[in-house]
Amino acid sequence: MNLIVPFKIERKMLSKRNLVTYTIAFLLILALNFLLPRMMPGDPLTAIYGDEALIAMTPEFKAHLIERFALDQPLWNQFGAYLLALFQGELGYSYYYSAPVSAVILGRLPWTLLLVGTSLLLSTLLGIVLGIESGWRRGSKTDRALLTGLMSLNGFPDFFLGMVLLIIFGVTLHVFPLAGALTPYAGLSGLPLVLDVLRHLFLPVAALTLTYLAGTYLLTRNTMITVLREPYMLTARAKGLTQRVLKYRHAGRNSMLPVVTRTGIRVGRVVTGALFTELVFAYPGVGCLTYEALLTRDYPVIQGVFLIVAIFVLLANFVVDLFYPRLDPRVNSAY
Amino acid sequence: MHIDLKREIKESSAGKTGLVILLIMVSIATLAPLIAPYDPCQQSISSLLAPSLSHWLGTNHVGQDIWSRLVFGARTSLLVGFGVGIVSTLLATIFGVSAALVGGFYDKVIMRVVDAFIVIPMVIVVILVAAYLKPSILILMLLLSLLSWQGGARILRAQALSLKEKGHIAAARSFGAHRFYIARRHIVPDLGPILVVDFIYSIRRAVFMEAGLAFMGITDPIVVSWGMMMRDALSFSYLNVWQWWLIPTGVALSLTIVGLTFIGYAAEPVIEPRLRGAEVA
Amino acid sequence: MPRLLKIEGLSVSYGKNLVLNGIDLELGAGEALAVIGESGTGKTTLGLSIMRLVEGTVQGIIRFNGKDLLKLTEKEMRPIRWSRIAMVFQSVNNVLNPVHTILSQVAEPIIEHGLSSRKEAQNRAIELLSYFGLPQSCFAAYPHQLSSGEQQRGLIAMALANDPDLLILDEPLSSLDAINRADVGRLLKESATGHIMLVFTHDLATASRLADRMAVLYGGKIVEQGPAQDVLSRPSHPYTRALIRAYPNMTTVKDLQGIRGRMDGAISGCPFHPRCTQAIDICSRETPHLVSSQEHQVACHRGGIVTLLSTRNLTKSFGSLKAVDSVSLHIEGGETLALVGASSSGKTTLAKTIVGLYQPSEGAVYLEGAKVDSWRKDFYQRVQIVFQNPGESLSHRLSVLEAVVEPLDIQGIGTRQEREHKAIQVLGEVELPQSRGFLGKYPHQLSGGEAQRVAIARALVLEPKLLIADEPTTFLDASVQAKILKLLLNLQEQRGLSMLFITHDIALARKVSDRMAIMMGGKIIEEGPSSQIVVAPKQNYTKSLLDTASALRIDEPGAARFSISRER
Repeated sequence: MNLIVPFKIERKMLSKRNLVTYTIAFLLILALNFLLPRMMPGDPLTAIYGDEALIAMTPEFKAHLIERFALDQPLWNQFGAYLLALFQGELGYSYYYSAPVSAVILGRLPWTLLLVGTSLLLSTLLGIVLGIESGWRRGSKTDRALLTGLMSLNGFPDFFLGMVLLIIFGVTLHVFPLAGALTPYAGLSGLPLVLDVLRHLFLPVAALTLTYLAGTYLLTRNTMITVLREPYMLTARAKGLTQRVLKYRHAGRNSMLPVVTRTGIRVGRVVTGALFTELVFAYPGVGCLTYEALLTRDYPVIQGVFLIVAIFVLLANFVVDLFYPRLDPRVNSAY
Repeated sequence: MHIDLKREIKESSAGKTGLVILLIMVSIATLAPLIAPYDPCQQSISSLLAPSLSHWLGTNHVGQDIWSRLVFGARTSLLVGFGVGIVSTLLATIFGVSAALVGGFYDKVIMRVVDAFIVIPMVIVVILVAAYLKPSILILMLLLSLLSWQGGARILRAQALSLKEKGHIAAARSFGAHRFYIARRHIVPDLGPILVVDFIYSIRRAVFMEAGLAFMGITDPIVVSWGMMMRDALSFSYLNVWQWWLIPTGVALSLTIVGLTFIGYAAEPVIEPRLRGAEVA
Repeated sequence: MPRLLKIEGLSVSYGKNLVLNGIDLELGAGEALAVIGESGTGKTTLGLSIMRLVEGTVQGIIRFNGKDLLKLTEKEMRPIRWSRIAMVFQSVNNVLNPVHTILSQVAEPIIEHGLSSRKEAQNRAIELLSYFGLPQSCFAAYPHQLSSGEQQRGLIAMALANDPDLLILDEPLSSLDAINRADVGRLLKESATGHIMLVFTHDLATASRLADRMAVLYGGKIVEQGPAQDVLSRPSHPYTRALIRAYPNMTTVKDLQGIRGRMDGAISGCPFHPRCTQAIDICSRETPHLVSSQEHQVACHRGGIVTLLSTRNLTKSFGSLKAVDSVSLHIEGGETLALVGASSSGKTTLAKTIVGLYQPSEGAVYLEGAKVDSWRKDFYQRVQIVFQNPGESLSHRLSVLEAVVEPLDIQGIGTRQEREHKAIQVLGEVELPQSRGFLGKYPHQLSGGEAQRVAIARALVLEPKLLIADEPTTFLDASVQAKILKLLLNLQEQRGLSMLFITHDIALARKVSDRMAIMMGGKIIEEGPSSQIVVAPKQNYTKSLLDTASALRIDEPGAARFSISRER
């Protein structure tokens, strides 16, 4: 997870990633999504919707679906229909929820976004700050303690950490609620609503943040160690700048670059982690949805989640790649 | 790179700790049949028992002995870990080094594909495929391998590229050696340390993934998995059983991952020598 | 003049490694001092230790504006850095932070020291960058987008941001090409009014361009200090002189010579003594200190380069003819003085008088400070002479070996074995074969070049300090001449041999001498450093000598620049 490539090499690799890559990735996702059910034995409708679903459908609905997705026609046409439906925002129909997949997912998505967003933000910021401070004080007691502590923490899978936190703070100490994103039927609004959400959010975010903190921390710390030996740090010291400025504007600004490079990948990881964490805390996000869908074999939902999550991660990577050259001016020149 | 990988790991206290942990886990896994008093899958009516002399860690909700399941779970995790690690590193080497040496269009194509795979999160794909295929442990391993070699391939390619420029490669080429010989004799040995580190981190990732997927329910039903154990334990978190059901399992899993982390961490200075000297307590 | 910076007894060591050993320096307002040092001499450490940026153990006193900087805490030091003392670093890779623009890095110290608002700081930064020649398009550039010349200009502008009292520069021009060097050097000098400059460099031209005073650093000690032009034209310390001789520049005309041996770490006594050609016993035991209260100081137990031989009003008359007329000259240890004159000028007579073949009519000869009353064995152990014609100066009766051994036989030095051994060794030094076959040859069997080398070997076998060479190459072909001359220069480099080189050919003299004396009619009419005489001769006779000297392009204006007829 933390393989540290000399940053010079990494910088070169970064500038090579461009639109073509993302297009290929996007196509791969689409292809997988499209081809998988259609490669299964049996008729396409069963493959796409599963046995249970089909039992519950009316023949008219089945006919409608076959027509909509061109399931009785050759593969190319099916793909065309599939793409067409996709761009119209139609992801299929979930028999279990008796609603279009897109509606189901959209209902759950905000919670996952909240969870992922907060955790990502916190783990990145904390990780960078701790990494800078640790790297600055390399070898000291603080550094060693942080290093050992966070590396050990890193070993805990997020769901285990989540469970531990749940048991300690939820079950035993009753400080935080055990499940859900909101207290049900409370009918809150305004500030109390926000607080309620935060109370429910706290443990899952803590679990995710703590697990993914170590990666950022280690990367920043190690980069900091090499950065501190660069000639420009001596120049900065000679300028009589305060410790804070040296640590953050000069060293820190350079040390955080590898973390930012990898933010795209980290989004993927945190989203993955969120899926597991939601299970632990019964947090009503996309992760929980996936689990439920797996249990009920609600294939359209699973497909929809896959598509949306994959594309979301792709977008996040793309956006990061777009903004990275602003932070590191060396990227697009032949360096 | 004249740095001795073995020495690096042995000299670091983190490395030593990691090795010890891993050795313990491997021993447990290997000796599983000997140290597990019960068949891990055998159900009984004595469910949710507290730890006792006959059941060291008590029993789970279907009366299976937790200790036996724990011990056999180690087998699963390590087998999947090492298996995926080997295949993943192998694929990474083949594709990464060949891309570096062949260059041209082949290189471009491989790199685009690799980059594309890197941005797609692995777990989602496995979930999707698993939903349809209901994979056995072998299929799962294959799947994980196919989705995790890309990161290593990128790094290995970068290293191979810089090695390619070195003098002794040019010399070998001037003697008429063709690319396969150069790869075998000159490049791959020099990539040794990075390969090892990549291997370690691949194992780590695989162990984590397997547990996580099992936690979600995606696993081979015949096999005992720590993830699955934890998932079962989750539903009973309001009872006291978590003390001997959840915690030991979670700790075992965490220790394995931490052990691998430590070893990887100790081996990293091989690639970036300036990190040496930063000791873990 | 109020002394703004005073360094006393500064010593810096890293563990057991003593890098600086008791440095004393002073600088007053408006002065510029260049510290010359080759790599490994500790000059970067010296610069950094003034700013308290050095990691090792520092002892001594650095007094700046009355305060001892070494006694300040880090907190007290910080406000001083860059506002009172600033440093221009050498433009290497990553000396500037790669993620900030050059403009922001120049403006930063102004803002951080609270001296201006952000807007004003930026304006000042723009001003400075423009002043030092950075084009406007580069202001928002990042360091890796700038050439090293542009980076260097940026570094200088950055250092001057807060108008410091003391500016320390570490090789400020070495990463620039020649044209940029001249430009940036000029800008630096112009902006230097009001603050003091301390320039660290190995490049003598940079030092001469930027500084008024110069100090030479060797082995962690200052070995010479004084006004820059003084030190460069009249170096007192053997190291300084050797440094100047080794440095390719448009001023000096003599062929380049190196310094024998190499720089070594822990040396007791004078740090230069293993490589010094005039070292004596005490040099290896005690460290010399900078002495003399005048402007030009040198740290040498022998008071700098010694005067080996001098004459005072030396006159030799043959009847009423004064062949040598009141000649006063001196030759220093390890240098070559060329005596240039026409065939009737009296140069050979002078040589013979110095060496005691003629008795002086008036005046005296002094060897190593002592007056020479009689020329005895000990004189000839220190002064030897090589004549023009090896065919005559070598006896046709003696073989090579016998000829070279002869001086040792006469002086009665050593056993037969030792003498032969020494002779063979010296023959090796003059690059002659040491085989039995060669040793048994007779002069008529040797070529002109070989014969002259044998004569030189014979002269060297007594290990003299001064070699007088009277037209040593006139009888030889040009290509052979070149080799003999190279040999003589090498011997000077290796043994510290002084030479009185007598010739009629000023073009030749130019290539082998440090100083020249022009002789006409028995008198020395002009004397001075060779580089000076050749470009700015004072006497007409000298001018005519230069004018008629061998030149390969006669129709060039330069060749006729000293033409007397053109003078008005």
